[in-house]
Amino acid sequence: MLSLLPQLLVSGIAIGMLYALIALSMTILYRATTVVNFGHGDLVMAGAYMVLIFMVNVTLPFLPALLLSLAALFGFGYLLHRAFIWPIINGPHLGLAMMAIAIGYAVRGLVRLEYGSEMAKMPRPFEEQFFFAFNTVMTLDEITFCVVVVVMLVVSYLVFSRTRFGRIVQAMFQTQRGASLVGINVRLFNNLIWGVGCALGALGGVMLGLILVLDPDAGVWTLLRGFAAMTLGGFGSLHGAVIGGLIIGVLEKVLGTYVSTAFIDITCYLVIIVVLLVRPRGLFGQHATLRI
Amino acid sequence: MKLTRSVFWLLPIAALALPLLVNPYHQYVVNLILVYVVVGVGFNIVVGNLGQLAFSNVAFFGIGAYASAIFTTQLGIPWWLTVIPAGVVGAIAGCAASIPALRGVRLFYLAIMTLAFGELMRWSYIRTPALTGGSMGLTVPPAELFGWVLESETQKFYVFLVIVVVIVVAVSRILESRIGRAFLSIKNDERAAAAMAVPTGRYFVLAFALSGFVVGIGGSMYAALVGHLSPEAFDLVQLILHFAIIMVGGLGSLVGSILGAVLITATPELFRDWPGFEELMFGIVIVIVILFLPRGLASLLARVHPIFKDRYLRED
Amino acid sequence: MALLEITGASVQFGGLTAVNEVSFQAEPGEVRALIGPNGAGKTSLFKAIAGEEPLSAGTIRFQGAPIHDLTPHEISARGVRRTFQNGGLFGELTALENILAGLHTRIPSSFGGLLLGTRAAKTAEKNGTRKARALLEMMGIPHVADQWARDLSGGQQRMVEIVRALATDPPLLLLDEPAVGLAPPARAELMKIIRRLVEEENIAVILIEHAIEFVMTVCDTLMVLNNGELIAEGPPEEVRRNREVLEAYLGR
Ligand SMILES: Nc1ncnc2c1ncn2[C@@H]1O[C@H](COP(=O)(O)OP(=O)(O)O)[C@@H](O)[C@H]1O
Ligand SMILES: [Mg+2]
Repeated sequence: MLSLLPQLLVSGIAIGMLYALIALSMTILYRATTVVNFGHGDLVMAGAYMVLIFMVNVTLPFLPALLLSLAALFGFGYLLHRAFIWPIINGPHLGLAMMAIAIGYAVRGLVRLEYGSEMAKMPRPFEEQFFFAFNTVMTLDEITFCVVVVVMLVVSYLVFSRTRFGRIVQAMFQTQRGASLVGINVRLFNNLIWGVGCALGALGGVMLGLILVLDPDAGVWTLLRGFAAMTLGGFGSLHGAVIGGLIIGVLEKVLGTYVSTAFIDITCYLVIIVVLLVRPRGLFGQHATLRI
Repeated sequence: MKLTRSVFWLLPIAALALPLLVNPYHQYVVNLILVYVVVGVGFNIVVGNLGQLAFSNVAFFGIGAYASAIFTTQLGIPWWLTVIPAGVVGAIAGCAASIPALRGVRLFYLAIMTLAFGELMRWSYIRTPALTGGSMGLTVPPAELFGWVLESETQKFYVFLVIVVVIVVAVSRILESRIGRAFLSIKNDERAAAAMAVPTGRYFVLAFALSGFVVGIGGSMYAALVGHLSPEAFDLVQLILHFAIIMVGGLGSLVGSILGAVLITATPELFRDWPGFEELMFGIVIVIVILFLPRGLASLLARVHPIFKDRYLRED
Repeated sequence: MALLEITGASVQFGGLTAVNEVSFQAEPGEVRALIGPNGAGKTSLFKAIAGEEPLSAGTIRFQGAPIHDLTPHEISARGVRRTFQNGGLFGELTALENILAGLHTRIPSSFGGLLLGTRAAKTAEKNGTRKARALLEMMGIPHVADQWARDLSGGQQRMVEIVRALATDPPLLLLDEPAVGLAPPARAELMKIIRRLVEEENIAVILIEHAIEFVMTVCDTLMVLNNGELIAEGPPEEVRRNREVLEAYLGR
């Protein structure tokens, strides 16, 4: 039994990479605007559906379809913030959360209108292959996940720490008012960040499309895994989101194999519930609860 | 003569004649509306009055429905006697859902937690077939009392009407008392509420339990109405329906919950042939309400005449 | 036994020490003013007394019993009431309902009684309402009773908040910058009301201000907080002449 462990770690980390990417994209939105995007899962899955549409209905090859999908989700995120989030950004928290939820639902409804209850499969850009090393198997998909996400992490790290855009974003993560005082167009930057966040999430969705059959309800599946990663890592922590995602990926595999297959489904729910009860700030987060 | 809120009693009285005017299918829809009045009233306690974003409502609804169905099928208890127990089970679920709040978990943390709770419940309906019939669902036998069988839609209507009136009166009494004020003070400023010696934690539990109780009873009514429960009935489409009812009707308003249920419940029936349409439409409707009518339709009615103004509907 | 006894109390936020080993006592029938520059730790000290922030060291005793481990609502129920530096009113409630919320513990209606609509529950609610109206009347603002708190003017909001804190006749009242944003005549009027309350009800008031001039005439004891430390305490005229205070604060 124990000999399975290296294999489980490898596949857990691979899928965890996707959770990490999705959690990271949600954390960016949260850090910039303190809005938790409850519709994010649906936007992530929309990324995969866009690739499907561009490849099947428009008959484009994969790469242009991917780029168009990311561009479309960037635009959607930008508009979403500009038209629906920004106007109520100073309103009650409840309204903001409801707005994100409602938009997620509308997107899901659109998808369901088009695809109904049929399961759709995103066309594969490459044939699946298997690689053996040190008694473990890795699929080409899994290698792709790892490579793409690690590249994205390195790129975002560089953007954040080395570019003017990144420094402005970091300043805005600290204080929005301060940013507006020094002449930054906060609205525009938040629009852009929402665009980037949605595009990043969509990239995760496209990769999920390789291994999942698409169905409209996959959005919630995705959302909860993103939340589980964020909660475990500590809400608002960028590296926490990544580490949390990897841990959730591994936990799902390990518990699912050694304890019960049920854990493949419910690990993320349990992580959310247990972490918020026992240590609400997660691994790396700020103090998150109220003294009552 | 000055109009007072006692004129609202005319509504249930007039409704007594309704079965004479409608065919059985429409009667079914009317009964469904009554179910959702209860659901909306219960949901609004936590969202509109306590001001917390909680996704646990569908869980309460499902728990109430399954509790009723399981008590009747497994224990052979007649449906009548399962209504209150279904509410109690819902209230227990409500207490469970409020535990994180006692630990100081608030805002979106609470939202995420209750979302996970709701999904976990739906998963468990599917994974415990011995009790719930799994994905095949569970058939609820018709209710019987001393040989009188609750079968026709008309009969169900009268029973439901009584339940709805009792619940609306009871909840309005609670909300218009110091308890309702405590809920609203927590919604407005929890820190200041505690500084006024309001034991905020206890009121969190109370609001969730009350909400769970009422919505659980709604679930029990639903089980009796549809006669067959399946896990898909308690998915996220159900949740958007609940949200739409209280948002469109008016957050925190009892009149609004009723109005929302009347307007919203019938629509899914109309669009049954286009899966996805409800989600799209409700999503858009909620966006519009948040942007342009944050207090829902009840706030418009309140402008027409003050009797529609709930004591706690704050928009003039 | 003093009404309030604070001994070596410290409050920390991460590495920052907002209140540093503060000790003092407050007696019934006195007004204590707490002054100090912005960021001195005045509000943090109030939060510690009210149970909103934990102490990192020291003790707080009220009427002889330690209260620093209690929750805010328990401390409030024992009779320590406070107002907030900004926005403590419930905006969605009317002024009257705000006072009623302050009377929460004094309206003895039970859940069951309310459900059944018993006479006792109705009477409790009615008595509460009568008392709340009387309080508004006493403070000279009966006309705002049925307006939404968020629609009141700044001065009216301050008054309603003070009335709300006073509604249960608490032995100790903590006022966090109550005079901020008031016009000078209103401010003088407020100070007079505070003085009157202390004398008539024999309660203790601790009053935060950041400007020394406003409190000279109203307080019996002046305390100066700077960088979390209590650097002076005594009769106002004496403290005003204190060298350290002049340097640290007035000579700013
Ligand atoms: N919740 C908090 N977290 C971190 N630092 C805080 C917090 N509240 C206050 N502080 C810091 O503690 C110090 C004292 O603040 P405060 O008590 O509000 O001062 P005052 O009321 O005298 O103006 C300030 O440096 C402030 O920045
Ligand atoms: Mg202060």
